[in-house]
Parts: sequence; structure tokens; C-alpha cells
Amino acid sequence: MPEVLTFDAVVVGAGPAGAAAALALARAGRSVVLVERGPFPGAKNVYGGVVYGRVLDDIVPNWWEEVPVERWVVRRSTMMMTGTQSLSVDFRTDAWGSAPYNGMTTLRSHFDAWLAGKATGAGARLVASTVATGLVRDGAGRVVGVRTDRDGAELHAPVVIACDGVNSFLAKEAGLLPRAEASHHTLGVKEVLDLPHGAINERFGVQDHEGVDMEILGCTREIPGGGFLYTNADTVSIGVVVSLPQLAASGVRPEELVADLKAHPTIAPLLRGSSLREYAAHLIPEGGYDTMPALASDGMLVAGDAGAMTLAAGLWLEGVNFAIGSGYAAGRAADRALAAGDCSARGLASYRTDLESQFVLADHKRLRKAPSLVLSDRVQQRYPGLLCDLAEGMFTVTNPTPKAGGLKLTRAAAARYGVSLRQLATDTVRGLRIFG
Amino acid sequence: MTGPDVLPGSHVPAPQAGDGPLVVACLRIGDLRPAVDPLDGSVTRDRWGVGLPPADAAALEHALRVSAAWGGRVVGVCVGPRSVEPVLREVAALGVAVVRVPAADEADAHRYVTELADDERALARTLLAAVRPFGPPDLVLCGDRSVDRGTGALPAYLAHELGAAQALGLVALQPNGPGALLVERRLDAGWREQLRVPLPAVCSVEGAGVRLRRASLAGALAVDGVPTPVDRSLEVEAAGSPTGDPGSVHLGPTRPYSPRTRVLPPPEGDDPRLRLLALTGALVAHDPPTVVQPESAAEAADVLLDFLVRHGYLDAVPGGGVAPSTGDPTA
Ligand SMILES: Cc1cc2nc3c(=O)[nH]c(=O)nc-3n(C[C@H](O)[C@H](O)[C@H](O)COP(=O)(O)OP(=O)(O)OC[C@H]3O[C@@H](n4cnc5c(N)ncnc54)[C@H](O)[C@@H]3O)c2cc1C
Repeated sequence: MPEVLTFDAVVVGAGPAGAAAALALARAGRSVVLVERGPFPGAKNVYGGVVYGRVLDDIVPNWWEEVPVERWVVRRSTMMMTGTQSLSVDFRTDAWGSAPYNGMTTLRSHFDAWLAGKATGAGARLVASTVATGLVRDGAGRVVGVRTDRDGAELHAPVVIACDGVNSFLAKEAGLLPRAEASHHTLGVKEVLDLPHGAINERFGVQDHEGVDMEILGCTREIPGGGFLYTNADTVSIGVVVSLPQLAASGVRPEELVADLKAHPTIAPLLRGSSLREYAAHLIPEGGYDTMPALASDGMLVAGDAGAMTLAAGLWLEGVNFAIGSGYAAGRAADRALAAGDCSARGLASYRTDLESQFVLADHKRLRKAPSLVLSDRVQQRYPGLLCDLAEGMFTVTNPTPKAGGLKLTRAAAARYGVSLRQLATDTVRGLRIFG
Repeated sequence: MTGPDVLPGSHVPAPQAGDGPLVVACLRIGDLRPAVDPLDGSVTRDRWGVGLPPADAAALEHALRVSAAWGGRVVGVCVGPRSVEPVLREVAALGVAVVRVPAADEADAHRYVTELADDERALARTLLAAVRPFGPPDLVLCGDRSVDRGTGALPAYLAHELGAAQALGLVALQPNGPGALLVERRLDAGWREQLRVPLPAVCSVEGAGVRLRRASLAGALAVDGVPTPVDRSLEVEAAGSPTGDPGSVHLGPTRPYSPRTRVLPPPEGDDPRLRLLALTGALVAHDPPTVVQPESAAEAADVLLDFLVRHGYLDAVPGGGVAPSTGDPTA
């Protein structure tokens, strides 16, 4: 007989979703155990680099006074590029540089450990270096716990919250998540480069703890995707996020794409003299609202990336805040179900209602068509070049030839990239409908 | 000096002095991938990379096996800042009593640990003082090498302090009746030698051959969040650690080796060829290198000392000893 330990709730995965779920349950006075396969929370976690903290306001008051931050993002740049050109919309504001702030660059090993520390501080138990290897069900098929790789010992509880990240094995075993569909996923690859604090400040036009977030389109060859560059205290995170099936079909190695981006004439001077500290790659569930699994079954809830909750809508790549929001809501729903003595799918249904009433599902629902637009051939392959050509035409002084009008330049650029004005107008309207 | 508390919950027996043979595992917990500057040898450690190095994990597993065979107790001891606690807790989850000797100033803990590691004799004394409340150790185990530029001298100092036998760089180790161990050590060309080691003994082991067991789930949960015991009395002692003790190995700050410039008197005469010969020492007869084949280690030491005395690096002291030379051997 395997060893069995019993709790009110078991949370699998001490990423942001799991830590938030355990925190909510511990605060409600429930006995909760947080199972993490890494040696400490965040040890194994990969992301780009920016966390938007508004979601923490109600969970950890004045969180900015204690969160392990690298830099506060005060500049956000959205860049389109071709091999030789780039066009940026660059926004900077003082408002994001002081409390309550907007976004911060932070390292996951620091941030996740901090958030999980909040949960254990509130009474959650953490068992690290332990993998949940499968679900335990009762005779009626309800989930009643998880098996672990510590001699097959089991953790039993009326409710299990799967926060085990993208491609969740537990959600699949529960029948909530269908077999992974490659087209609903992207692959993120990134490098962290050492660069002195002062060099970052000078090159990126910031000072002290100010940071920059750059999102880039047109840097992934013929593969749909995008790039990013974030400044940390004395490192820079740079990487690309690309469609999984098209990456596989292209035969291109993902690190080549990062190398391309680093060598781009706009980016290379920013990184001169930097040295590689680490390289990482991870899947991202980018399918959005329409690809989300059912979020509850008898005895089980799914939160964060396990529930495909990363918002990847072109202008935004936000996953950590959605993980925290959904995890905390899952913890509270589990507490309500435990109080009512009903941890069936029906008893746990308040989770979804709660998520719909707040940003997690509201944003996803509103932006549900964004992934298909952002990853479409025209947005990916044609518009970056078209816009760069348009800007080059506008700003190239052609004396003695008189300046060409905007419409003429647009027509010429559109024709060069095989886009009709009608398609341009349709996509503009579509974009306005989705993002407007 | 008060005895250290013992972690953790009820499932782990709290070892008491006099509870069967005592096996001590000295654990060097630190950054597993420290950055070593190739130019000046300085080491940068990251507290997020903290773990139990393979050799130390092997030492702990050997300690658990030997103590199980003897019906004894295991104590894990480590000098380190608070960031090593999660690793020590995992050790405690295996039923091992753990003691941490803290840094006097936790904020500057890594410098403190580095200083202690630079002086392996002080480190040995500190570690042994921390386990003294458990009684005299029958066996002390350590990893054979640290990943962050240790000198490898710790086991020798431990053995010296304890007056124990020592066997270093082992790959296998098993009890050989009461009061002895049978151990194995790698030799060149795939050979291995077997040694019988009497107790008390200090053994260092390679990070090979055994894999550290995992704690049970109950064990892992029992230690979650429990602070590892810290021997505060040692903190005071260690803060004024005898890093400058006479005779101890002490590494100064590291930098690339650059020999001092030596001013030579100008050669005499006007003939450029003769001046060049005088300057370079070319065509002057030198002692050829000597190959000696002493019978024993003691004889080898005598040959070396004799060589150093002959060439002015050491002075012979009346009564048979030697002392560092007061003159300049290169003069
Ligand atoms: C390249 C890249 C860039 C990104 N950039 C950003 C960004 O800039 N900003 C942003 O907000 N989001 C970003 N994201 C998305 C973000 O990383 C995720 O949305 C977020 O990490 C999801 O949190 P989570 O807690 O759901 O899952 P995860 O962070 O994946 O955590 C899952 C946890 O579960 C553990 N685990 C998994 N399986 C088991 C098991 N069987 N047993 C025990 N433990 C288990 C894992 O070790 C891990 O700790 C990015 C993602 C990638 C890949």
C-alpha cells in the first residue's frame, strides 16, 4: 500500500497559478499542499520577462514594496522590421515608473519563489523536488488526489487544482484537455545576455530602475511569430515566439532566429559586448479562448497555462498575470466548494463564473479572434515590410522630385508586398473590431 | 556551549549523544555552477544555484548506509548562509539530524563562507565543534572535491583534529566488522586498491558509485518550513574564526602569477658576446634534473627537504628540523 497523506486541497505546480491557488486556500484556513517538481518554486520556469502587477493589488497589498523586481517598465516599444529596416512606435511615461507601477521585469526563479513564499507564509505546505505522476480516482471516477514519484506516495484531497503549466498532463489525464494540438501552441526561445547596468541605461535611454519592453514583428523569417527584448537589472532577455507546426515545417532551428534578431542592424548596437548567460525554450498555449479546456471536473480544477490561459494577442503576451488571476480564483472556488461539501464539477462551477466576471476570461473572450489575425500571413509576412517601406518613402527626401503623397506611397508599398488596398482596409477594420 | 536543536518532526529520531556509532557527513552546500574568472580565479556564487554537489551527495548516502549497518546515527553538518536551508531540509527529510553553522553576518554570508573555505583548518575545527554535542564521531565523510575552488585539504585537517585515520578519494565503502571499514580507491590504468581503515576515520568519496536516496513524502512534508537548527554558540566562535592560525593553509587573494622582476648586476667587459653569455648563463654547467626513487613517503619527504635546504630555500635547524630560509635562495 502506498503511503497516503490527506489534505483539504492539493495544488500541483508552484508557478504563479499554483502559488496563487495555494495562497487563497491557505488564507481561507484550508490545509493545502503545493507540489513542485523543481528544487524550489521557479527553478524550472521560463518566460520572456515582464509581469504586469495590477492583478496583485488585491492579493498582496503594496506588493511593489517587496516584489523581487529587476526594472520597472517605463518604455514600451512596438517594432516592425525587415532584414534592413525597422519602424517603432515608442511610448514612455513617468506614470509607470512610480507606485503603483504597471509592468516590471523580474526573473522567474525570484518571482515564483517570492509568490510561493506568500502561500507557505499563510500556512500552505510546499513539497519540492516532487513530481505528481498521475491522478488518483475513487470508485465513481472522481479525482481524489495525486500520485507522486516519492515511492508512489499519494496526496489525497476532495479537490485537486492542476497548475502544472502548458500541455498539462493532469488536465489531459482528467479528460479536460484534448490531445495537444500543435497549431494551438507556439515555441518561445530566449537568451539572457549579460550587459552592465550602466550600458543598459545608456543604450536604452533609461535610468536607475527603469526598464524597456520591446515587442517585435517581422523578425522570424517566413515563420509566423514575433520577437521580444526586455531589460533586466544587468542582463537583457531577447527571444522569439514562433508557430510550432510552421517552425517544424521550415527546418529552421529556433536559435538561428534569435541569432538573426541579435544581428539585426537596429538591435545589434544595443547588445554590443554582451555575453550569453543562459538559453531556454518553452511552449506557450496561444490558442486563446476557443481552445481552452473545460475548467472543472469532479474533484478537479485547472488554472494558468494548464488551462491555456496565456493571452497572446499580438500587442500583448501576458501569461503570469492570467495565471495568478485564475489560480487565485481557483483557490477561492475550491474553498467555497469545500465549505458547501460539494466538490463535484457542479460544486466547482463558480470558478468559471468568477473568471468570466473578471479580466481572465473577459479579455480572452474579447480578444478571441486576435491569434488568427496576428498570426495571419499578411500581418506576419507583408505588413512589417509594407509599413517600413511606407515610412522610408515618407521620410526619404527626394529633391528635386516633389514629395509623393501618402496614398501613392501606400499603393506602391502595398503593390510591392502583394496586398490590395481592399485587403488592407479589411484587415484594418478587423483589427479595430478585435482590439478596438 | 549549548547543543544544537535537531530538525525535524516526530518521524525522524532525534539522535542523542551515546546512541550508537556516530557518522558525520560534512556537507559543502553551495552554488553548483559557480562562475570562475579564468583570468584571476575569483569565484562568483549565485544563491539561486545552491545544491548538494555530487560528491557530497555520495558522502551522505554512504553515511546513511554505514550507519544503518552499524545501527548508528547520522549528523549532517554544514557551514553556510540561510540560502542553504532548503537543501539542508531535504537532508533532514532523510532522517538525518542537521546542524548549520551560520555566517556571522548573513548579509555578507558568501564572503564569510569563502574565508572559512580558504582556511580549511579553521573550517575543520568549526565543523567538528558543531557536532561535538552529539559525541565523538566514529566516521566522518566528505566529498572529495568542492566545485568552488576548495583546496581539498579539509579531510586531512579533520583527521588531524580528530586523531583519526584517513582515506581519501574513495569510490566504495562498506563496514568490515565492528570498528573497521573496507574501502576502495581508484588507481591509474583502471586499477583499484582496497584499504582496511580502522575507526575513527575520515573518508572522502568521489561523486560516483552511489546515488543519494530520496526522502519519503511524509519526511519531505515534515521538514517543510521548519527552520534548520543553527548553532548560535558557534557563530560567535566562528565569527572570530582562527583564519590566521599559525601553520594553517591560508590562500591569499588570487591573481595571475607574475614573477617579481629581479635586478641583475650589469655584466663585466666590453665584448658583446661575453656580456650576453654572462647575462643568460648560457654555456655554464648546470645540475641535471635528478630522478629519485625513495622507498617510503618518509624517505621522499627527507629527499625533498634535503633538496630545499641544499638550494637555500630552507635552513636546517640545529636538532634536526628545517625552517624557511632567511636568505634569498635566488641570490
Ligand atoms: C518564451 C516565453 C515568454 C513569455 N513571456 C511572458 C511575459 O513576458 N509575460 C508574461 O506574463 N507571460 C509570459 N509568458 C507566459 C508565462 O510564462 C506563463 O503564462 C506562466 O508561466 C503560466 O504560469 P503557470 O503557473 O500556469 O505555469 P508555469 O509557470 O509553467 O508553472 C507550472 C509549474 O508546475 C510545475 N510542474 C509541472 N508539472 C508538474 C508535475 N507533474 N508535478 C509537479 N510540478 C509540476 C513546474 O515545474 C512549474 O513550476 C511567456 C512564456 C514563454 C514560454
